[in-house]
Amino acid sequence: MSQNQETQVVRPNEYIGARVQRVEDPKYLRGDGQYVDDVEIPGMLHAAFVRSPFPHARIKNIETSGALNIPGVLAVFTGKDLEEDTGEITTAVNRPEVRTASRRALPLDKARHVGDPVAVVVAKTRYSAEDGVDAIEVDWEPLPAISDPEESLLTSAVRVDEALEDNNIAHIEGGAGDVDLAFSEAKHIFKKRFVAGRTAGAPLEPRGVVAKYESSSNRLTVWCSSQCPHLLRTFLAPILKINEGMISVVAPDVGGGFGQKSHLFPEDVVIPAISMKLGKPVKWISDRYEDLSASIHSKGMVCEIEISLDEEHNFTGIRGHFISDSGAYSSMPFSPLVDALLAGTQLPSMYKVENVKYIVDTPLTNKCHIGAIRGVGWVPGQMARESLIDDIARELKVDPIELRLKNVLESVQQVTVLGCKIDSGSYSESIQSAARQLDYDQFRTEQKEQRQSGRYLGIGFSPFIEPCGLGTDMCHQNGMPASFHDRASVTMEPDGSVTVTTGLHSHGQGHQTTLAQVAADKLGVRLENVRVVYGTTEGSVYGMGTYASRSAVIGTGAIRLAAEDIKEKLLAMAGQLLEASPDDIELYDGEARLKGAPVKSMPISELAGFSYFGGRARPESIEEYSLASTRSYDPPETYSNGCCGVIVEVDTATGNIKLLRVAAVEDCGLMLNPTIVEGQISGAIVQGIGAALLEDAAYDEDGQFQAGSLMDYLYPTATEIPDLEIVHIETPSPVTAEGVKGMGEAGTIASPAAVINAVADALEPFGVQIGKSPLTPSYILELLREKASPSS
Amino acid sequence: MSTKPVEGLQAISVTVNGEDYTALAEPRMLLSDFLRHECGLTGTHVGCEQGVCGACTVRVDGAIVRSCLTFAISVAGSKIDTVEGMAKANELHPVQAAFQEEHGLQCGFCTPGFLLTVQDLLEKIPSPTDQEIREHLSGNVCRCTGYQGIMAAVRSAAQKMQT
Repeated sequence: MSQNQETQVVRPNEYIGARVQRVEDPKYLRGDGQYVDDVEIPGMLHAAFVRSPFPHARIKNIETSGALNIPGVLAVFTGKDLEEDTGEITTAVNRPEVRTASRRALPLDKARHVGDPVAVVVAKTRYSAEDGVDAIEVDWEPLPAISDPEESLLTSAVRVDEALEDNNIAHIEGGAGDVDLAFSEAKHIFKKRFVAGRTAGAPLEPRGVVAKYESSSNRLTVWCSSQCPHLLRTFLAPILKINEGMISVVAPDVGGGFGQKSHLFPEDVVIPAISMKLGKPVKWISDRYEDLSASIHSKGMVCEIEISLDEEHNFTGIRGHFISDSGAYSSMPFSPLVDALLAGTQLPSMYKVENVKYIVDTPLTNKCHIGAIRGVGWVPGQMARESLIDDIARELKVDPIELRLKNVLESVQQVTVLGCKIDSGSYSESIQSAARQLDYDQFRTEQKEQRQSGRYLGIGFSPFIEPCGLGTDMCHQNGMPASFHDRASVTMEPDGSVTVTTGLHSHGQGHQTTLAQVAADKLGVRLENVRVVYGTTEGSVYGMGTYASRSAVIGTGAIRLAAEDIKEKLLAMAGQLLEASPDDIELYDGEARLKGAPVKSMPISELAGFSYFGGRARPESIEEYSLASTRSYDPPETYSNGCCGVIVEVDTATGNIKLLRVAAVEDCGLMLNPTIVEGQISGAIVQGIGAALLEDAAYDEDGQFQAGSLMDYLYPTATEIPDLEIVHIETPSPVTAEGVKGMGEAGTIASPAAVINAVADALEPFGVQIGKSPLTPSYILELLREKASPSS
Repeated sequence: MSTKPVEGLQAISVTVNGEDYTALAEPRMLLSDFLRHECGLTGTHVGCEQGVCGACTVRVDGAIVRSCLTFAISVAGSKIDTVEGMAKANELHPVQAAFQEEHGLQCGFCTPGFLLTVQDLLEKIPSPTDQEIREHLSGNVCRCTGYQGIMAAVRSAAQKMQT
């Protein structure tokens, strides 16, 4: 990994921007993390689910006696058994075009996809619970299944959810300008159909839930591997028919989320419900098959995209039709629109094009449902748009970088044609930087030479913007009118140490470090005296969790506001004690000092003690002495940007693709901690490479699931991934606290299209056009077989 | 857990990180479950139960094995090393320290398996090439880091353990 920019630490307590080592690491390194499967409660029972082997089947009967005869098995619950205890899980999006869909945690009538849970066995051990699952006989009546999203839109299609008028959760159209006129006057029109493969978040820790109900106090505690404990509690309370305040949700250490664990799943409802029925603690830990077949899939989408150009190769219009292969249920809370609609609302991305039209359809299919996974629908949208732009460049015989530079937005604050309030960016700079990093001109020469000797090298670029810091404004702008509420509390304890609590979560992002950096700087204390608390609804203030690159922006905003409240009081007290104006005092490195006269100082710990216990000696100007503040922050729209560049070699005999170089240029505004930014970039880029080359949550034509293990669903490993070349551009946001932007998803948005473009570039002599992902060796060979030998 | 022997349960004794453990378990109990739930050593993680992801890697008599594919009874009497045994008192093992210094972990779930695999690599090949590192790590997957920090940590640990 190379870093082109080092951030210097100017003074010891200036932490924002410094490469601070993660404070949470020693716990994980010693094996002391506490993940959900590490929760042990005396008397705890274990659950295992009976799941559908069919893509679509009516449940005629569930015979449970065989299971109940197995030693250790205590109970079996079906949908009927939980019908009275639990309400429906309902997904609603506040738009007239969107159909509200409801489901039961365990279905009463039919299973809608392979892996759909239909009953749960409770036993003394997990082993006996699984024995019980094997002994349950379900009398299934297989039904015709729908596996093709375009077929699902036909009126004759098999109905996935009989309660809806048809299979389509929403048909939405939007745009700007006059796209028909633009296309009728265009000099060139190019079209492409791109089918994005399905991916899974597949965090290394599978999902899991533990629930403990105490009937004497009507208190329910739920441990869940979740990215959003407070939000989970808000969802669970009405379904379980218990007051939100009586539920505690604990999301302990979480072994990766990637969006998957920001959803509400049936098991999240079933395990608490059966704990309430039995009055015993119950644990369920997903196995890998369950995690892959019955969590959340993402990005399976048919994209039809068209661009019109004038004589000078300016983009004059862009049309996109995005059909999400939505799966069997409308995912909770995001619905399949999180893929298809976000592809539509970011259709022009960072290009200046006046005429835009998008159409979005989200038909249900008999597969695992589509929800929010890193990069969401921006990824298929990016793959379709950026691969079309490269196709256009080849067709017009212009350089793909020049074509992009001609059409990108200026790097200024602006409102785009679709209404995005762009705060700042570096659009042409990031493309040029990626090209420079990969020695673009030199590469072209080498590429020609290597082709003479039968080696096919290619280069591809994928510039992107990333809507980030997801709050109310951004969500509305992206077509999903939901509102957000996020708080942080900052408390200075009597000894001057600081406790921060937040409803954001951390499952790898390092918030115990970065959010502590913010609090430490704002209060002038040392980092080791700040503790960040999250992950329990009991121990931290309300917030909507971590996903959508929101936490750096929101955490910084809320913590800064709360810290400023405390700082004002500390300065007033220091003014009294140091006999100076508060304006002349600075808080720095654990001390309050008179600016310019550092001999006159006192420790912040003494100020804290004085504030708690100083009684009548404290300044009368302070109305209320509490050194605690809780503030909320809902950020305005903010957009990161950058460009990924990739060089590949394609083996035309085997179809194998080798990554030779990967450059990631990232502009996420002010970086709180460049090391952590680089970790996020690396993980996201590689997850995108997985989507481009390896990962395929595939179904056959009949809806049977084909990727139920990690031998079928392939992650990238260390052997496929070269050292990444990371380049930072730092354009602070003028609208967020400290100029911070989000960046967790950027790499996954960017890298798949860069890989596709590099492969298409390598195979340019064969004239192939790439129309789907992932680019498996068999797909590459299929493309090559369709074409004659190289034309050059 | 039952305190008296019942049919189907067998007493299994192992030494883990130098301490002796004996517990009653079914012959089909996996080593991963035995370590986590009978010995209470939850640093060993289970990511796939199919022997693919490497999160459950432990060392049995020095050799790295997948504890999710190993029956506990089949290693009775063995010396087992898990992540909990790597650090000495307040001092992290050099491989652990390198992972922190080079940002070789994020969520921490795959980390114990990687640490033991890297420890094994550096015992066998003290100065590995990048290719040797990549091949030795090919049976461990990390979903968070993109392997960049991990590769840097292995290089750094190799260098430090040499000096």
